[in-house]
Amino acid sequence: MTGATCFLPRADLDRLFAALRADDRTILGPAVSDGAVIYDEVASPAELPTGWESDTEPGSYRLRETGSSRAFDYVLPVTSWKRYTHPAFVPLTRARRDGSQVEVEAVLDPPPRLAFVGVRACEIAALDIQERAMRAGPIGDADHAGRRDAALVVAMECAAATSTCFCTSMGTGPEVRQGADLIASELDEGFVIRSGSATGAAMLAGLDLEPADPAQVERAAAQVAAVRTRIGDPVAVEGLPERLRAALDSPRWEQVAERCLACANCTLVCPTCFCTSVGVASDLDGQEATTERHWDSCFSLGFGRVAGDANFRPKVKDRYRQWLTHKFSTWFDQFGSSGCVGCGRCVAWCPVGIDVREELAAIAPVEGPRGPIPWPPAPDAGHAPAALTVVAPARHVTTSVVAVTQETADTATLRLATSDAALLAARPGQFVMVELPAFAAPPISISGIRPDGLDLTIRSAGPATAAIVALGPGAQVALRGPLGRGWPLESAAGRDVVIVAGGVGLAPLRPVIEAVLADRARYGAVRLYLGARTPGDRLFAAEVAALAGRSDLEVAEIVDRAGPEWLGQVGIVTHLFDHATWNGDRVTAFVCGPERMMQATAAALTGRGVDPAAIWLTLERNMACGVGTCGHCQLGPFFVCRDGPVFSIAELGTAFGREGL
Amino acid sequence: MEPQQLIMPGRRSPRADAPNRPRIGIVKFASCDGCQLTLLDLEDELLAVAERVDLVEFAEATSRRSMGPFDVLFVEGSISTAEQVEEIVRLRAVSHRLITIGACATAGGIQAIRNWFELDEVRDTVYPGPTYVESLAQARPVSDFVAVDGELRGCPISPAQLREFLVSMVTGRRAQLPDEAVCLECKRRGVVCVAVADGIPCLGPVTRTGCGAICPAYGRGCYGCFGPRESANTASLAKWFSDSRSAVEVGRLFSGFTAWSEPFRATIDAHGGPPGQRADGSEPRDA
Repeated sequence: MTGATCFLPRADLDRLFAALRADDRTILGPAVSDGAVIYDEVASPAELPTGWESDTEPGSYRLRETGSSRAFDYVLPVTSWKRYTHPAFVPLTRARRDGSQVEVEAVLDPPPRLAFVGVRACEIAALDIQERAMRAGPIGDADHAGRRDAALVVAMECAAATSTCFCTSMGTGPEVRQGADLIASELDEGFVIRSGSATGAAMLAGLDLEPADPAQVERAAAQVAAVRTRIGDPVAVEGLPERLRAALDSPRWEQVAERCLACANCTLVCPTCFCTSVGVASDLDGQEATTERHWDSCFSLGFGRVAGDANFRPKVKDRYRQWLTHKFSTWFDQFGSSGCVGCGRCVAWCPVGIDVREELAAIAPVEGPRGPIPWPPAPDAGHAPAALTVVAPARHVTTSVVAVTQETADTATLRLATSDAALLAARPGQFVMVELPAFAAPPISISGIRPDGLDLTIRSAGPATAAIVALGPGAQVALRGPLGRGWPLESAAGRDVVIVAGGVGLAPLRPVIEAVLADRARYGAVRLYLGARTPGDRLFAAEVAALAGRSDLEVAEIVDRAGPEWLGQVGIVTHLFDHATWNGDRVTAFVCGPERMMQATAAALTGRGVDPAAIWLTLERNMACGVGTCGHCQLGPFFVCRDGPVFSIAELGTAFGREGL
Repeated sequence: MEPQQLIMPGRRSPRADAPNRPRIGIVKFASCDGCQLTLLDLEDELLAVAERVDLVEFAEATSRRSMGPFDVLFVEGSISTAEQVEEIVRLRAVSHRLITIGACATAGGIQAIRNWFELDEVRDTVYPGPTYVESLAQARPVSDFVAVDGELRGCPISPAQLREFLVSMVTGRRAQLPDEAVCLECKRRGVVCVAVADGIPCLGPVTRTGCGAICPAYGRGCYGCFGPRESANTASLAKWFSDSRSAVEVGRLFSGFTAWSEPFRATIDAHGGPPGQRADGSEPRDA
């Protein structure tokens, strides 16, 4: 859709602005503010940073006034366009609680019609990369999609570069090839401009410009070619994802962590970083509440925190490794490209000048090893990133508590009634976000799938779960889901089934047991191995007793610490099959419990000859969005919420049990 | 029942008889009262708050006094005298939850700068007739003396965080009081980094957020009034500052309202102590 290349005299730039405004768009572009160029609303070309250039070094950015008549030689602002496609604050829900009545509704504001003026080649790539991340699914982010689709992009090829630029290495620039509605290059006397889309072509036609002089086109090309030469090729990208995978234990992580402030600036200035957290606001009584998501960062300690204040990335070196390996390695697994566009913002805006280019060279040297690969190259179980899947606002379904069963001192099962077809179609192993207005919504695995509702078995591990467990019959609670990938029951057809549960880990396995028994002939021998801390911590005690009375399955139980009334076995759950005689190669295993217990169980099962591809477990991570867009639950190449929470040991590779990942 | 007096004498709270209203006290030690006055800054919701809690001790707003017990006691100020030590121990015993508010109570406050000096020297400098000034050798945070159940940071504390804490108290949810760096707030707000763009020394990367990044938004560096954040890497930041500053100047940057809290304190020590004190005994340049 590229028509003729035209020439827009500098004095006529305001005609382009007028055309954008006539298209009912707010114009955003570069402007000088507080000693830097930022993106902001620009009413007229007079507000552009005419005569300003920037010098950047690691940890330093300085504007320099040149007196030139050119407006786009500033290279890159501190802000990126994500401020407008993925704003720092986005409202998510409005919720109301009136007595026992609960209502949660998604908030989706209509996207503003914006024109981005002055978009660089690296930034076009960034818009594209972030869009893929936010739309990867299973449900694409509606807010992001709306904003991105409603934005018109006027690209401006770079005529200058700074010392922190490395788009050339990342293959994103400096030449603009596609992804923009209009593509311009600035010359002293004006702009060489062509269209890159039908919208752009129509707009250009409306401006009724003269064709550009071939000499002008040549000068524009020479300008951007000079930028390419100036930048050179500072980062060796060949084999970089593989080199980084091989460098997970590099001593350099520790060294960079000594300098790294974990202040998150790199991630927030990064035009592709998309991680967010959810904040809750409410009136004083918690009757009216709203949630909004805000930019967050894998560099903050709280980002990897889960219930009970456990943390998967306690050390700064863990967080730096997460960021760097995500950008340059696991992003390929997740979204099919690098997560870095080479804009260099993370280098310039690091308050202590850590240079990602230097770190990459030191951590993953070109001549360094490229293997062994710690996990398979890409998730391969039918949930590889689907490009541009369905985009839809979140569904929040109000359900009613019909019964509450106290399982242990701190755990209860809520039976929830619903007629929602999607919820009733939940599969064993999936989870839901449980929403009570004014509380953070915890992810809870489904412990029973009924024709008229769901069971949720919830341990009171914090204020939100305590409030949910305290609900009585008749109370309402909203659910979002079902989410995640469940247990692959079909893979166990015709095979022996071993189910190993630790404590509350039996909850997500209960639907497996029920499904297996409902279709008992489909499976070989079925064995249940159940562990708990004490006899009082055993879940579903009556149901388990009933199962133990059946002849078509084996049930064995063990506790860590016995009381006087406990006549059964004492020890860890793997003791239950230490001396078993069954043959491991016929077994498909389903495992859930604390991470340490699952590691021990996986080791014991593989030791008995069970194929790692047939050992399935469900992981706990900080799952907040449930659809792979908030970034909290990442584990190597996986989003635990979207790609799991059920994984096989083979899929996880050495990502399973690796500290700090 | 004694009359409720909060701001408007004689006004009776419409929900004064509501059951289960937590008994709240607000007390102070060595401090300026600014933090407890933050409660009065919740202007729009102040009366609604007063309906939901039973404010039994708050000398800035009500003549009603109480010796306890308290469901929640907010404590402002550092502990600077022997009497204050006795009093905080007594208050702890009658308080179910004790929450320290502000830089003085949580970190010792600006007055903790004197902890680096001999008490007599400081006293003689400040008071013309110091005979009746009784003080401990150091001004210290409340947590040095009694167990603390929670804290609101800042100088002064943030009205938004105080409100969040009160809401969490009333609704039973977890208060959202992030322990991350000020930088996140700067970037979310779109504030240009004063450290990178202007070379202004800024403690934002090592300071806990909560202020809304006020100082950088007005073009000055963060001086750390919310105290150290989680994972505060002061050593690295100090090293970066040292490239263009003397050790004394670097130490001084950390010598603010939360100087006495680690790792700020250790960083100050590593750079020759706060201004006014030199390892070699010389006078500070700008004394």
